[in-house]
Parts: sequence; structure tokens; C-alpha cells
Amino acid sequence: MTTLHRRQFLLGSAAALAAGAISPAFAADAKLRLLFWGGKARADRTFIATDLFSKANPGVTIDGEFMAFQDYWAKLGTQTAGGNAPDIIQMDYRYIVEYAIRGGIAPLDEFVGGALQLDDFDKDQLDGGKVNGKLYGISLGANSVALMVNEAAFKEAGIELPGRELSYEDLPALAAKFNAANKRPGMKLFQDGSGVEPALENWLRQRGKALYTADGKAAFDAQDMTDWFKLWSDLRAADVIVSAEDQALDATDAIENTMITLGKATTTFANSNQLIAFQAVNKDPLTMTNFPRIKAGSGGGHYRKPSMFFSIGGTSANKELSAKFINFFISDPEAAKALGVERGIPCKASTREVIAPTLDAQSKIALEFVSNLGDLLGPLPPAPPANAGEVSTQLRTTSQEVAFGQTSPEDAGPAFFDQASATLARAKKG
Amino acid sequence: MASAPSHEVAQGGSVAGAAAPSWWAAARSKNGPGYLFLLPWFIGFFGLTLGPILISLYLSFTDFDLLTAPHWNGGANFVRIFTADAKFIQSMRVTLFFVIVSVPLKLAFALGVALLLNRGMRGLPIYRAIFYLPSLLGASVAIAVLWRQLFAGNGLVNQFLLNFGIVGPSWISNPRYSLWTLIALAVWQFGSPMIIFLAGLRQIPLDMYEAASLDGAGRWRMFRKITLPLLTPVIFFNAIIQTIEGFKSFTPAFIISGGTGNPINSTLFYTLYLYQEAFGFFRMGYASALAWILLVIVALFTSFSFLTSKYWVHYDN
Amino acid sequence: MITDVQRLTVVTGDSGETTRLRKGALSLLAHGLLTLASILMLYPLLWMLSASFRPENEIFTATSLWPSSWSIQSYIRGWTGLRIGFDTFFLNSLIIAVLAIIGNLATCSLAAFAFARLEFRGRRFWFAMMLGTLMLPYQVTLIPQYVLFHQLGWVNTFLPLVVPKFLAADSFFIFLMVQFFRGLPKELDEAAMMDGCSPWRIYWKILLPLSTPVLATAAIFTFIWTWDDFFAPLIYLSDIRTYTVQLALRTFVDSSAESDWGGLFAMSTLTLVPVFIFFLVFQRLLIEGIATTGMKR
Repeated sequence: MTTLHRRQFLLGSAAALAAGAISPAFAADAKLRLLFWGGKARADRTFIATDLFSKANPGVTIDGEFMAFQDYWAKLGTQTAGGNAPDIIQMDYRYIVEYAIRGGIAPLDEFVGGALQLDDFDKDQLDGGKVNGKLYGISLGANSVALMVNEAAFKEAGIELPGRELSYEDLPALAAKFNAANKRPGMKLFQDGSGVEPALENWLRQRGKALYTADGKAAFDAQDMTDWFKLWSDLRAADVIVSAEDQALDATDAIENTMITLGKATTTFANSNQLIAFQAVNKDPLTMTNFPRIKAGSGGGHYRKPSMFFSIGGTSANKELSAKFINFFISDPEAAKALGVERGIPCKASTREVIAPTLDAQSKIALEFVSNLGDLLGPLPPAPPANAGEVSTQLRTTSQEVAFGQTSPEDAGPAFFDQASATLARAKKG
Repeated sequence: MASAPSHEVAQGGSVAGAAAPSWWAAARSKNGPGYLFLLPWFIGFFGLTLGPILISLYLSFTDFDLLTAPHWNGGANFVRIFTADAKFIQSMRVTLFFVIVSVPLKLAFALGVALLLNRGMRGLPIYRAIFYLPSLLGASVAIAVLWRQLFAGNGLVNQFLLNFGIVGPSWISNPRYSLWTLIALAVWQFGSPMIIFLAGLRQIPLDMYEAASLDGAGRWRMFRKITLPLLTPVIFFNAIIQTIEGFKSFTPAFIISGGTGNPINSTLFYTLYLYQEAFGFFRMGYASALAWILLVIVALFTSFSFLTSKYWVHYDN
Repeated sequence: MITDVQRLTVVTGDSGETTRLRKGALSLLAHGLLTLASILMLYPLLWMLSASFRPENEIFTATSLWPSSWSIQSYIRGWTGLRIGFDTFFLNSLIIAVLAIIGNLATCSLAAFAFARLEFRGRRFWFAMMLGTLMLPYQVTLIPQYVLFHQLGWVNTFLPLVVPKFLAADSFFIFLMVQFFRGLPKELDEAAMMDGCSPWRIYWKILLPLSTPVLATAAIFTFIWTWDDFFAPLIYLSDIRTYTVQLALRTFVDSSAESDWGGLFAMSTLTLVPVFIFFLVFQRLLIEGIATTGMKR
């Protein structure tokens, strides 16, 4: 294995040398490989942008390849480990640290001001792509968590839609009203959010805590977790949320399995750029609002999260050209129109201006929602540390243990905290 | 098809004594032909298969994280697996239970249906095709959606049970029953062993039944005295293969639980856990260690089966 | 069909009016049971078929099999939706599957013949090695294998998917054939060697012709498994023009974004057609073989 690595390294550097020698500028006939996750709708938009780039840069072709999120990481991992990483890599907020600290993706600082023109790029979004002070990813859009709401169910029941001021404390009363007037058999007011990491994060932030510290430790304590599980146990007892069995149908927050899509709840925790995707598989008209406040007047739980990044493969032989492509992708007016807000709200002010008039109704809702968070908006937390993905998995499992009655909130809180701390510590050792 | 030469040969065989020409004895005793016939396999084994296998063995003693060079960490992975890994125990339990329940069920179904479909009846090819259809679906994404349609709280199964006044749980998402829905899926896809059984049944010479029926043997007797013994090599094969596949079972849980093994790790198959470690949490070294433990377990089981096979598997010699 | 009927009469050996009546009732019962079971087996597929004609926003909540309105839009969208028509993916899958069948039948039967019929030093050892390769989860050999194929320059071609089949890498089929070869009477070989046959002639002229059922089985499985295989193509194919149908199917849906579920179900349905036809055609070969040769032992 070590010899292979050395050989790959030699091969890689030889290729880089060759490329450098032949092409000080962007020589003709370069080929860039682009890997991203997404469905067909995203691919259609993306390929319009890559075609535009090829047209603007004759001789440069972009081989775009896309797949479902679930399949994406095995392929990217294999290609990267095999010394065949793509040039441009769509990167998730959760994995950017893992790839950056291991050299899977390259720092981009040297291109800023050159191939990458980031003058009117949102500061918080730029920071979101930084790991240990270096820029590793260019955010393709800002997002916020958002609550999907089934408008029709509320209208039929004659109840006002949950709005900006909704708090967890209001839920039992609202649920009582809803359950009395509800016309949909088996539909509850809320999904069970106890296993949803973004819901926990939002709630912690309103308490002045967070999920993680900047140095990769848990930024909450056992008591926080006990309170959290208790909150949802009480809501379950008060008939506010779906049953444990129903909630467990939704294993991964996949849109098609969410409680709102299955008709089990009027609301579902999601992201602001997903309204169109949710609407596509829901018959009832949907809208969206913010996550509940923990009590009246509390705010700061939301933040503008980079929905995803473009990064450059650590071994790419065409780093500068790749940077040029990323720049084109986030700033070219025609490309921007094609891409819309499908990956989130564009981070460059100039791009936002270009696309604003071209958006459809649902995209406008998303744009306005993210732009007008007001007192709900707090600062960007540090990027999740290595092994954060595993902690999120553990949260889901623990929440199910509580929901199915295998443990109590009082026991689950400390147990989860210990487990999460151990998982995070394991990452730092390795 | 090819009945002429075989006939001729078979008759020759019945006449022939024990004495064989000396060149043949020599050729048989020498290793040449055997290795010649195995040549393609040897090229593949040494060229493509063995290297990656040995490397994975090496990696199981390292902290390989996919993206940086592996570092030797001795037996640390194995120590952790055996002393501090609750998920290892859970996934082993899930997998063992799955194998113990689903393999016999699947084999019984496959054999039963194969026997039924082997008989002279109108429309057999159609039935055979229909019973094989579920296996054609393989691990399609569609299966996940389909299975929920059947086994969710308001799914088809519960609608059926409601006719008898039974209010069923949400089978697929209740940790007490979720593994059973995966067992049901495995059994539902019994097509492959069924086909192998059918092929095996076809290989039993018809004249054996003729002779037995002249002796006045009944159907059950013929099944016990002819069909079953002559089918043992195929039964043995299916049992071994299904067990190995059962231990390695990955896709059903991957697709239906979205790769999580939930609810509450009740469907956390061994290889699913291994996959999570390798590609989800960047611990390929650890995953390799898990893989080699599985290999040892499966190999022990298989060797044991081969040892006992002397007593119940009948080859023609 | 004829052979089936003959077989039945031979096997049961019954005669007379009452038994015929009894047989009629039995057959009716068997048909009834089989039909019932067939519906059970088919229900999920019928559901998929109905989903492919359904409006997309009904797919996840509808309980009836009958769509509220019918539309073939999903098929049109699905076929052309990926910038490249689905015909390309079908062709790619077909090429890979056919090559895999040829490779598996040719080389696995050679190896199986050696293990089942020839004596040589280390036979048991190599047999154990062969079975051993079946027991390691592929997830952990994936990366070294990828590195190997990448060094050979085979990534993004069909070679990683096809070449191993020509090198008998699929132990399942070797083991399967070994079991069947061992079921064939050994006197065949001994008689043939009396006639001065070489091992090659025994393999080619005697064993293979008698092995139609197992060869047909191997062909069917190879076709279906290659057709359904998703993981290897995912890892090794990058250019969408080289995609197989299963790989193309997985691009319809991403659970975090806008997906085309209708297209997925429509194309999934179409993908089943070739495998189903292949199965129908090849299963006839299962019925032939040694049982019909009337061979004496």
C-alpha cells in the first residue's frame, strides 16, 4: 500500500509538473471532472452551467457526474483513496473538515483575487468554507433550517398557520385545538424532532449553547440532553407529535419518508432550499416558516448555513482552471439564472440581483425567508468536527430508544452525552 | 441433446473393467491437466483477487482513513472490537438471528416450490417466471418504497389483518419487528435457490423412478429414497451459499433503513456496520478488521459443514 | 411440456378412473394455490407498475393500486431525461451482461471440472482458497482493487466489470458447477478414458453436454446479477455514456433534493422487461438436460 501511495504521489506530481510546463495559461483541450450529488433537476441546471463554461472557454470540457447523496461518499472515497479524485468536488458541510485535514481537498487561498473573485461574497458564507483558517470550499448557496408546513391541513381545520412567533411552549395548546378540528385521520401537529440534529442544534443555540466548540468538543452538557429528550417525551404524552413507530419510518430525513410527505404530521423539520422538492411529492400546498422558539421572544437559533460547497481535489492537476470554473459557476449571470436557488441562496450580491426577477413563487419564498430571518438569526457556528456524522447517527438511535420506551430521558441525556464525547475524542486521537 | 455419445459411453462403462490404459493413469496421477484447467482461475486469483485480499488483511492492522497513508497500529482494531464495541455485538446478534431464521425458511420455500413446479402441470413456465420475478428486482430503490407500502402501520398487511379485528403495529419501523420484515424480504426473494433446486431435480435420471415404481414404491418413498438423497449435493450447495450470503447480507438493510440500521440498530447488519465504519466514518482499517473477523466466522462454519457433509451428502461415487 | 407430462405419469405410476379424478381435483387445488401465491409475489410489482402511471404527488400516500389518473409522462420523461436516451444504458448493460455470461460459462466450468473431476496435488487447498474468496465482504477489497484497476488504466471502461468474469473470479459459479459435475456418474469418465479420451474431450464432449441445466442456471444468474449490479458500475464507471441501466436509475432520485420518482418507477419497470424475457427463454433449457436423455446408469 505504501509503495502504491508513493507511486501515486509520483504520478500525481509528474502530471502536475507536465501540466505546469505545457500550460502556463489555460491551454486548449483541458478536461475537468466534476462530481456532485443530487437528483435529475439539479443535474439539468448544473449541466446548463457547465455547457456555458465550455462555450466561454473553448477547448475546456467538463465531465459532470452526479448521483444520490447516499451513494456519493463511497464513490468519492474510493476515487480519492485510489488516487483518481475528481477536479471539482461538491462538498458537504459535514464532511469538509474530514476531507480538508486529510488533504483530500486543496486549499483555495492562492486563487482568491485571481481566478476566484470573491469581493461581494457574503462574509459568513466565506468563513463557512474555512478549516483551520484556510479556505477549502466555496459555498454554493446559503440555507437556513425551515419548517415545512401543510397549508391545506390547517385551512381545513380552520386554524391559523403557525407563524414566526410559534414556540415549543405553545405546542400543546395548538395541538389540542388542531386535534379537535382536524379532518385528516391519523395526522398529528408535529413530527418527533428529538432525533433531528438540526432541530437540536437550533434549540441549543437559543439556550446560548451549541452542538460543537471550535476545537471539536461537545458544546452542550448532559443536562441539556436530558431536557431535550424530556421536551419531546412531554410533547408525545400531550398528543402533539407522531408515534415512535411512525417517526421511525423516517430513517434519514429523506424527503419521501418525512412525516409531512407521508401525511402523518402537518409539519416537518427541513431546509429552506427544499420547498420545491417537498412540494413535488406532496399533493397539498406547502409553505414554510422558522423552527419554533424555545419560548416567546427567544431567538438566534437559525443561521445561514452553506448548503454545500465546491472544493478542488487535493491531487487535481488543473487546480487553477477548476477555480476559474467555480468562479464562473457562482458569478456568471446566465449560469446563475439556470441554477436559480436550487442549491440555496447565491452568496454573491451581484448574482442575487441577477436572479431575483427570474424566480418562481416557491423560490421567492425561500429567498425571502433566508433574507428576512431578523432576530431569529445568529452567528455561524464552527464547521462540525470530524466524527460529527457519527454523533448525529447516535442522536437518532438514542431518540428512538427514548421514544420506544427503552430508556428514560433522565438516563438518555447523560448516556448520549458520554457517547458523543467519546466519539468526538476518538476522532482526535486518530 | 448429446444423448448419443453419452449412451455409447455409458454402455462402454458398464462393460469396462477396472483396468485403465497406463497413460491415463499417469496423466491422472500427474498434476498437469488439473492446473491447466485451473489456469484462468489462477491468473484471476493471483492477478486480481489475492492482492486486494492481502492488502485488506494488512489494513486491518492499521488506522487507514481512506485519505491519508495507513499507519500500523498493531492489534488495536481487534482489541477495540472485542472489548469496547457495543455495535459489533449488536450487529453480530442481528446478523446471526437473520441467518438462523431466514436461511432455513428460504431454503424450505425454494425446495417446496421447486418440487411443486417440477411436476407436469399446465402453465408451469409462467408460474416459475412469476415466482422468480421478485428476485429479478434485486436491490432496486423501488423495494424500499414497496416494503413500506406493505409493512407500515397503514400498510397492506395491516389492512388485511384488520379484517380479523387485529390492529397490527408498524412492522417495518418497530424495533421489535423490523428485522422480521427484512427476513420476509429475503424469503420473498427465494428465486435463486429455487432455480438451483429445479436444475438439480432435472439432473436426477428418470429411469431411477421407473425402476422404483416397478418395485411398487409410492410417491413419498420415492421422494425419500431417490429425490432427497440425489438432491443432497444441491441442498448442500444452497445451504452453504445462502449462509455465506446471509452473513454478508447488505443491500436489503442498506436500502430499507436508508443505510442506518435503525430503528434502534435493530437492522444493523454486520456488513452494514462495516460499511458505515469504512465510508461513513472514514475508518477503513477498522472496517477491514471487522471483515476479517467475519471471514473467520464464516470459514469456520463452512469448514464444519464440509466436515459433516461426508455423512449426509451423496455424490455419485 | 411433453416431457413434464411424461414425467408425471412415470413418477406416479397411477392408473384408473378414480385416481384420474383425484388427480384432477389435486391439480385444481394446486393451480388455485399457485395463483394465490402468484398474486402475493406479484403485488409489489403491480404497485410499481401503477406508480409509474400515477401523478407524482400521489405515489407516497395512495393506498389503492388504481391511479386516480393515468399518464405515460413518466415514461417519456424517464427515457430521455438524462440527456442521453435510455437505449444507450440498455445497450451498455446488455454488452456487459453478455460478455459476463460468456466469461463465466467458459472459465468457471473449466475450473469446476478441475475441482470435480481431476486429481492433482493441492486440490483441496485451492478449493478452500476459492471458497474463501467468497467470504470476505467486498467493501474492504474495493479500494485496493480500485487502485489496481486504476493503475491498469481500466477505470471508466467496462474492463473491471468484465475481465474478472473471464478469469473465473466468481466463485459462486465454480462451486455451483462443481456440485453438479460431481452429481454426474463417474463411470462416464472412466469409460471415456478407456476409449482414449483426453481430459479436454471428457470435459467438452461428455460433461458439458450433460450439464445444460446448470449451465442454463449459471447463464440466467449471471445475466440477472450483472443486470442488477449497481455497486461495481457505480465505482468504476464515470462517464454517463458508459452507464448501465441500474446506475442510470439511481440518478433519478436524491432524497435531499428534487427527484423524479415517476421516472424511476417507469424506467424500473422497463428495466425488468429484458431480464424477464431472458429468464423465460432460458428457463426452457432448465427443463432439458439429463432427465430427458434416458441415460442408463
